[in-house]
Amino acid sequence: MEKLIQAIYGGIVYGSIFGMMALGLTLIWGALRMLNLAHGSLYLVGTYIAWALVTLLKVPMVPALLLAAVGAAVVGFGMQTLFLNRILGKPGWDVGSLIVGVGVGMALDQSILLTFGPRVKQMPPLIPGVYKIGRVVINYNFLVVVAVAVISLVLLSLFLSKSRYGLAIQAVSQQPDAAQLMGIPTRTVFLIVMCISAALAGLAGALLSTVYQVQRESGANAMLMALVVTIFGGLGSVKGTIWAAYLIGLLQSFLMVYLGAGTALPGVFLFMMLMLVIRPSGLFGLGEARRL
Amino acid sequence: MLKVTNLEAGYGGSIVLHGVSLEVKDGEAVVLLGPNGHGKTTLLRTISGLIRPSAGRIEFDGKVLSNMSPAEIVAAGVVHIPQGDLPFPELTVLENLLMGAYLPEAWKQRKQKLEQVYELFPVLRERSNQLARTLSGGERRMLALGRGLMSNARLLIVDEPSLGLAPFLIEEVYRKIHDINKKGGLSVLLADENADHIAGFADRVYLLEMGSIVSEGSAEEMLKNEALLAAYLG
Repeated sequence: MEKLIQAIYGGIVYGSIFGMMALGLTLIWGALRMLNLAHGSLYLVGTYIAWALVTLLKVPMVPALLLAAVGAAVVGFGMQTLFLNRILGKPGWDVGSLIVGVGVGMALDQSILLTFGPRVKQMPPLIPGVYKIGRVVINYNFLVVVAVAVISLVLLSLFLSKSRYGLAIQAVSQQPDAAQLMGIPTRTVFLIVMCISAALAGLAGALLSTVYQVQRESGANAMLMALVVTIFGGLGSVKGTIWAAYLIGLLQSFLMVYLGAGTALPGVFLFMMLMLVIRPSGLFGLGEARRL
Repeated sequence: MLKVTNLEAGYGGSIVLHGVSLEVKDGEAVVLLGPNGHGKTTLLRTISGLIRPSAGRIEFDGKVLSNMSPAEIVAAGVVHIPQGDLPFPELTVLENLLMGAYLPEAWKQRKQKLEQVYELFPVLRERSNQLARTLSGGERRMLALGRGLMSNARLLIVDEPSLGLAPFLIEEVYRKIHDINKKGGLSVLLADENADHIAGFADRVYLLEMGSIVSEGSAEEMLKNEALLAAYLG
């Protein structure tokens, strides 16, 4: 019983975090048809901004989290306007956008290394304290992380499905030609999507810095899990991505609790491979014609 | 209203349109006739800004469209209903229609516009909460027209509204566009490859072949000249 609670609780925590990371990745894929390989580095930008603000400048937690999201969004804005806009809509976009992602990612990672050094850092929790159910320890910090993640996922889903701009993002993702003919400025939409996606990655990075240690490798790990979730859920599908995030989160957590931590990652990958054999376009995969 | 002068355009290095000139006057229904692959769609896409012309001029009410973005051209009042409808498949019919009113001016009037569109196409009201990808071919065509009408269009550009539809549906679609033109007062520039559809609809006709206008005239004269039509359209 205690193991079960532990596993479910862990799954929800992982799922929320994977969801935030993966949703950003899937939005970019849906709108721009680009696999943003700099996504993990944007996460790292959020992590280090939050750490610097909280520990060096003694900024309170909430504004620090917001600023981390804004900071990552600004980097995303720069990436779009300085590099991606130049190759947008031209032949070779597929490879070109991958290269931009790798390049920007490396530049960010190395800048962070030069600025903050290689040493692992600690971030204080959002809210200290724990709650015990039997021998299961529920960390208040984790609950806040989950709450922030869930709130941002819900808000983003509402924005996408209800607002004029959100619908325009979907329209551009599904049928860019027709969207242009409705007067939707596609380039502006791409820019907005990039900023939202980067902000989500930054916020995830900042939140998780309170859970894990602050280190350079965490960006790559987060990116890897986001990629698994996105592929599993079906690239470009918002609903699929959120489902997949919690499914993968729970799977990882159950494997950890019942079979040991070493089995989690191989197990998740094995599951993903089996899934792709059965449903090549993912859980809610929409194929080429239907996106987002 | 719309004035195209010596337009040249194409894809990459290959030129498709070789100096096309045409005109649409206020309230007119003008039809561009021509076989497939001779530049009708290219011409219409160039007018709406999806393709940059390499030479020539497009004017609409005195404004030069040829260097505007597609969004600015829509804002100016030229709205293009594309070939094959291109609905947003995972949005509902209602959401598709709302996207037709994306620009701020139209967005403010979206409620009235929606009523007008529903009145013209009652089937869209019935289907309003269905995903666009679940519609039949005829319904999709109505949706494409309705979505175009949600804008503040003064000139409607329609690319092959008969494509892939059963004959009775083609008639209905043309009747609707006729109403939009004559009752609604919108000017229409329409492309088709079949002269049979447009009798009683078109005011004037242009014949487009190999990227050039080879003949033009009032619909009455043009449609009587069977030898000419047979020579170009087969």
